[in-house]
Amino acid sequence: MNTPAAVVARRAVARWEFVLVLLILAAGAWSTTQSPFFLDADNLLDLMKPYIFIGLMALGLTLVVIAGDIDISVASTLAVSVVVFADVWDHGLNIWLACIVGLLVGTGLGIVNGVLVGLLNLPSLAVTLGTLAAYRGVAFVILGGGGITGFPSDYTRLGIGYLGSSIVPLGLAFFVAVAAAFAVLLHATRFGRYVYAIGSNREAARFSGIPVDRVRVTLFAISGLMAAAGGLVYASYFATARADAATVALLDVVAAVVLGGVNIFGGSGTILGVFLAVVLIAVLRNGMGLANIGGETQSIAIGALLLGAILVGNVMRAGREQDIGRRILDRLQRKGVPTREAQATAGNPATQQHRNHERS
Amino acid sequence: MRLASPHVSLHTLAVAAFRLRELGIAVALIVAVAVFATRADAFLTTGNWRNISVSVAVVVAVAVGQTMVVLTRNIDLSVGSVVGLSAFISADTLSAHNGLPIAVVAGIAIAVGLGCGLVNGLLVTVGRVPAIIATLGTLYVFRGLVHQVSGGSQVLAFELPSSFKTFALREVLGVPALAVIAIVVALLGAATLRWTHWGRDFYAIGSNPDAARLSGIPVARRVLLAFAICGALAGLGGFMFAARFANVSAASGSGFEFDVISAVVIGGVNVFGGVGTVLGAVLGGLFIGVIENGFTLLKINEFWKTAFQGFAIVAAVTVDALVTQRLQEALRRRRRREARAAAHAEAAG
Repeated sequence: MNTPAAVVARRAVARWEFVLVLLILAAGAWSTTQSPFFLDADNLLDLMKPYIFIGLMALGLTLVVIAGDIDISVASTLAVSVVVFADVWDHGLNIWLACIVGLLVGTGLGIVNGVLVGLLNLPSLAVTLGTLAAYRGVAFVILGGGGITGFPSDYTRLGIGYLGSSIVPLGLAFFVAVAAAFAVLLHATRFGRYVYAIGSNREAARFSGIPVDRVRVTLFAISGLMAAAGGLVYASYFATARADAATVALLDVVAAVVLGGVNIFGGSGTILGVFLAVVLIAVLRNGMGLANIGGETQSIAIGALLLGAILVGNVMRAGREQDIGRRILDRLQRKGVPTREAQATAGNPATQQHRNHERS
Repeated sequence: MRLASPHVSLHTLAVAAFRLRELGIAVALIVAVAVFATRADAFLTTGNWRNISVSVAVVVAVAVGQTMVVLTRNIDLSVGSVVGLSAFISADTLSAHNGLPIAVVAGIAIAVGLGCGLVNGLLVTVGRVPAIIATLGTLYVFRGLVHQVSGGSQVLAFELPSSFKTFALREVLGVPALAVIAIVVALLGAATLRWTHWGRDFYAIGSNPDAARLSGIPVARRVLLAFAICGALAGLGGFMFAARFANVSAASGSGFEFDVISAVVIGGVNVFGGVGTVLGAVLGGLFIGVIENGFTLLKINEFWKTAFQGFAIVAAVTVDALVTQRLQEALRRRRRREARAAAHAEAAG
């Protein structure tokens, strides 16, 4: 069983991404029992539509978390971007220019977070908890309790339309393309290696010449940009822009990142894992929707999944650490260093032989 | 040759910084009161202050528990959902059994909160889930449970006995009953943090968890205790919430965690743990209550309140971090000076 194909297969099976695929299949199998239409190709592709904005935010947050920080203001950043975008469009600006304004606003809010965290060295949790409230308040101040609707169909195609005449939703294609770009950025560029290095050990990264401050500010800017991009998809899918947009999205975004196998303490994680986790959450929520389970109750399942994923990760990590310990112990014994365990098992013939050998 | 002990200098510097933070929030509170008093006629009336004290009371009761959690370098984001869950379950039980004494109703609410707090605490200590993620998860899980328990129904005022509804209106020496509860909780909390050894342990854990562990403090047990107290007080807050509004729905208490965390952080409790007092949290709660009330009286858009709270959190964190950085720099300079002096003395001697 040591042919290269077998080795590759075994490595693939041992990865977290493989577990995610199994979970997606299990969730899908359960959903099939809820509705015979679940397995239709149309439904399989369409069920992603309401969760594209979650996925876009999760991609941005992934980079931030791998670098050892957190950004819980993403949903509020989304709200401000959406509200400003809709407001300037409502005041007569071209819809695509308004989109660019929205993206700029999101990036700007991300930079504010980044400067507070990266340059002033404030804890990212406290800062983004503050801006989570502050940005949401700003969104309400701009638009109040009302909503803006009636976007042109060219724009709403982004959320509800399809790629050409195929059955692939435009939003899904956009999400896949962005995820691919993120995978390249994180896994194949110097910038990506910087992100991992900063997340593993920020001080060591600084001493090895990585421009830590600049990278961290950039990451928060990217997170803001992705929140704004998510907002544009959100507004086109729901065909309305309101200040309370995506208020309950934070759970799904954080769950996607953590379920995707990103270490919440920074330093490890893959884009593929996060992508699969977004798919898993979409399939689960879709299935629970088919089973007539309400949104609030669905959150119990997603929350439990989030906590379960971390607990399992912690147990696995603890197991690995124990393995490392045993391996070191084995090596010491082979070298003939008397260890407590070796002395305890002195009656063992193998150990006896070992000792005789030592004496000669 | 005079060599001041670095421990003494650290202590005095820390105490000075402390006082500064509480003084700062007290000054901000006085300025806010002065501004609203000159702009709004109704602001300084007894009736208005009764309103403020009742709304601040619920925040303060929960903020005392949150202070303990934050002191240990953790955070509890789920308190809003715990308030909602305990408010609903206790009010729902009362509506089904109208004869229950009020103390039993409060006991049910506190028990529900304690259970939630223990779940959070176990996730953080035994499960080693970072507090922010653990309580973000339970924020949604507990809220989902409220929806599950309520099944979309509400507890309305007419279903509750009149003894419960008049409870919130009762006064002791002119102070509303809910405010009295909050004052008692705050006094107990302050005494705990000041004089009990496990209260002091919270500070030790937040200042340096590793050092606390090495000096024999049972860190996990203390953190679990902090979460349990925070949950129980959030449960009490749920009872106070139900008594105040006499109307509980599945959405009750949503977003309440922001009022609590704002009060704690604005009150100078450092999010890095180890620094802060109950007095600060009470002042922070009062500040938020005064701002909210003043905005309403001045007919300022209610949405400004959320934005203001968010900016206040960021500002408080920034000030805290800058003060801490200054403190550490001063300390480092002092140590270097002392080391140089010692080296000189050795060379001369």
